[in-house]
Amino acid sequence: MKLNRNFISRISDDESILVSGGGAEFSGIVKGNRTFGVILELLKKETSEADLISAMKGRFEAPEGMIEKDVARVLSELRRIGALDE
Amino acid sequence: MKGTYRIAERTIEITSVYDRVQQYCRDYRYEGVPDFRISITQEDIDCERKRSEKEQTNVPVINYSDPYLEELAVYRRIAEKMPYYDTFLFHGSAVSVDGEAYIFTAVSGTGKSTHARLWRELLKEKAVMVNDDKPLIRITESRALVYGTPYNGKHHLGNNICVPVKAVCILERSEKNHIRQITFEEAYLKLLKQAYRPADPRAMEKTLDLIDRLSERVKFYRLGCNMDKEAAETAYNAMKG
Repeated sequence: MKLNRNFISRISDDESILVSGGGAEFSGIVKGNRTFGVILELLKKETSEADLISAMKGRFEAPEGMIEKDVARVLSELRRIGALDE
Repeated sequence: MKGTYRIAERTIEITSVYDRVQQYCRDYRYEGVPDFRISITQEDIDCERKRSEKEQTNVPVINYSDPYLEELAVYRRIAEKMPYYDTFLFHGSAVSVDGEAYIFTAVSGTGKSTHARLWRELLKEKAVMVNDDKPLIRITESRALVYGTPYNGKHHLGNNICVPVKAVCILERSEKNHIRQITFEEAYLKLLKQAYRPADPRAMEKTLDLIDRLSERVKFYRLGCNMDKEAAETAYNAMKG
């Protein structure tokens, strides 16, 4: 899976934004936290849910199961707005 | 039909199916070698109709004529190209006072044009309309410049001029008039929403870069306003500096 080319991300220290371009069906802006931004960055290259979870675990310390849940939630939202190529 | 026009420092050759768009742009006619060419086909017009149907479900789009939809298609094509010339389309009403421009932006129906009219009533001939609907903003090394374009709203308020931008003001309706300067970060989401978002991802990236560069060149304000003349006084006194 990979971030669709019609979606552009902008990431700062405390906020991440995903903007749809005119070529996307979804017309809007998704705002998220730093974790959301890291997932977007990782999705700029072809990856899988398992690889995303593994990369996130390398960067963040979190209680058991939380990273899996966060990744699944973000991917589900990205699928909903058509931002994922799979 | 074919014509050449100079809009926001670019020479554009437009080939259209109908004459109406050529007439619409007549104040911008120009003799010169085009920086880029736009050629509209019936297919582009049909696409514009589909897009309008999708965007405005409560409006009987079927009544839009092909020549009108061609006007929209032409500006869309211009807006797609402009980021490559450090320029982007911004939805707002731009007024020039003493050689500096103030751009009012808000969701449709909030009262951008009404507020711009209050400025003209307050400041008389000192206030000159740059564009009442969809100006182009060009970012240079040191400044942000706003340009009049033929696409200047339903009342056709605008002039073929270029003015340095002093401030961008986000309008919200309010019973009482109040204004405050805000940070770029606070204005950012609204700026993104009000800027034209190209279908071409590279042009979209450039648009986001241009919005970032805008931040270093202008001030941002949030204005809560009603429709009284006092709204214009409140805004002008705060932003003129």
